[in-house]
Amino acid sequence: MNDCGRCAVRESAICHSLNESELDALNALGRHQTLKRGQTMVWQGDESLLVGNVIEGVLKLSVSGADGREQTLGIMFPSDFIGRPFGPKTDHSVVALTDAQVCTFRRSAFDEFARGHPELEHSLLQRTLTELDRTRQWMLLLGRKAATARVATFLLEMSSRYATNCNDGASTAPISFDLPLSRQDIADLLGLTIETVSRQITHLREDGIIETPNRRTIVVLDSGRLQARASEV
Amino acid sequence: MWPYHPELLSTPVPRYTSFPTAAEFDDSVDSTDLEAAIAATESDVSLYIHIPFCESICWYCGCNTSRNNRADRLASYVDAIDREIALLGRLLPATARIRRIAFGGGSPNAIAATDFVRLMLSLSHSLPLSDPVISVELDPRSMDATWASALAGVGVRQASLGVQTFHPELQKAIGRTQPTQMIESCTDLLRSAGVNSINFDLMYGLPGQTLGILEDTLDRASRLGANRIALFGYAHVPDLIPRQRRIDADALPDQKARFDMAAIGHAFLLEAGYSPVGFDHFALPGDPLACAALNGRLHRNFQGFTDDEAPVLIGLGASAISSFPHLLAQNEKNSGRYQMMLSHGRLTAARGIHRSVDDQTRGRIISELLCTGRATISPMLLRQAGPRLAQFARHGLVERQESEIVLSNGALPYARTIAALFDPYRTDWSRRFSTAV
Repeated sequence: MNDCGRCAVRESAICHSLNESELDALNALGRHQTLKRGQTMVWQGDESLLVGNVIEGVLKLSVSGADGREQTLGIMFPSDFIGRPFGPKTDHSVVALTDAQVCTFRRSAFDEFARGHPELEHSLLQRTLTELDRTRQWMLLLGRKAATARVATFLLEMSSRYATNCNDGASTAPISFDLPLSRQDIADLLGLTIETVSRQITHLREDGIIETPNRRTIVVLDSGRLQARASEV
Repeated sequence: MWPYHPELLSTPVPRYTSFPTAAEFDDSVDSTDLEAAIAATESDVSLYIHIPFCESICWYCGCNTSRNNRADRLASYVDAIDREIALLGRLLPATARIRRIAFGGGSPNAIAATDFVRLMLSLSHSLPLSDPVISVELDPRSMDATWASALAGVGVRQASLGVQTFHPELQKAIGRTQPTQMIESCTDLLRSAGVNSINFDLMYGLPGQTLGILEDTLDRASRLGANRIALFGYAHVPDLIPRQRRIDADALPDQKARFDMAAIGHAFLLEAGYSPVGFDHFALPGDPLACAALNGRLHRNFQGFTDDEAPVLIGLGASAISSFPHLLAQNEKNSGRYQMMLSHGRLTAARGIHRSVDDQTRGRIISELLCTGRATISPMLLRQAGPRLAQFARHGLVERQESEIVLSNGALPYARTIAALFDPYRTDWSRRFSTAV
């Protein structure tokens, strides 16, 4: 039985270029983990360093600073690839923000397989570069002082990852998506209080930039103005 | 044309990429000193990351590097640097700002392009990066489109290529074969990746090299649009660098021929539109390095002349040197031991020197003489250097202007030798260094 055939992110994950027999070979190297919300990714004995695919759910990458405070380095969504190797001896950890499923590989085994499959190797580089881009954007977000900017940037990021209706950026059609995280989760990620997050969302709604038909759903009515808010200092 | 005074060039002198030089390092410095210095750093910081591997080893090279194509060994070295980055992240105050990151070697492109990007990810995750300028040394022989896309994605704007010479016979004589076409396509790849400052490392004093061959190489380098050129004299010291034994010592140009090559090379590059930068670097007008030289803001570090003004340089990787105003600390040189020490969660500094106030004063003088050709010197130091300085003054190479000494136009090839007059460690002129030209 080939698990990959039924994979929810079969078409969009890093391994999408592989054919059935190649997928079988790669699958044999990997391991599936199901994580409960709040759970930290764990390691088995010989897995010194791992890389992995997010199949389902949202995860965060975080690091504990010298002062003991935890800092979020980024969030991962389905079909994202966690390309910076992580493991028991590294300083960062991967935590599930929702119930999640990941498929992980020993870094050495994955890299070796990629060397024999140029298309996968190419995707690995591209995905790692994407991860670097997102990390830089995330650091910029956390570097911004204004709560408005942090919340607006976060909503833009979410809309680009979760929007169901296609939007090429130039279109003015509303973008709609369900937030996978609670207000408290968002506050923790952004280094804000839950009250501040709620207040900022209320402001954006009152200004006609977004709509919030229910607790979970966000509709971006005016992405141009949301972007303007995102660059406020 | 520079005046030739062989008697003033007969003594080997350091290159002064640091002061005191690495020859003065001993085991009085360890990782505790380095950790304390890092924890007290709140200024601008530059990072240097050493990748001591090459696809093949050139016979002339004195760098700490070894041939290695085994992916697992390269990966485990990268893992060690990753741990070093995490350790540094825990030590360095968040108020420090990392403004430059230089990858050098060896050949950083000996590692997989993905591993290079992963290192950038680790750096972004663990350290207070402040929109740093990123530069990478590259081996044209292992440069490809994959690496170019990594450089573009990371946003590398400065690169340095080991070219040495375009002459096929000379390339054979130094164990580095790379056809002109390879350099051309490498340059094209870098340009399309957005690298806007490309340096060529070139050499004079190679076995069998003539003035004509050197001029041909300089001409090709400038026509390929090299933004910067470093023209080094080949230092033949096979007793110190055993791999140089493969180079035919009988074919090496003599002292006078070397002097002519340095002088004519200098004149040729100025004619070709380059600005002189220190005694062996050149840059096109408008390049940050040329601007720094023009504005008297040039500095000296382990990679040569630089526009980097950060007071602190932190070196990562085996044998890398960290530099603080009061401390020089060198990491464990052996890459196996370096990796083992990091797996125990400690930085690896094993050698170095505590810089006294006197060291710092003399270091400033030496650096200013090399970078700007003038330095303010206290009456006491001037008195100490007096008699030996006089022989340079007699030839019009240096003059006193009140409390300053100023090098004349033709004094460039003597700059290191004049600087060495203020180096108190050079009392027994051992043969540990190469000649000044």
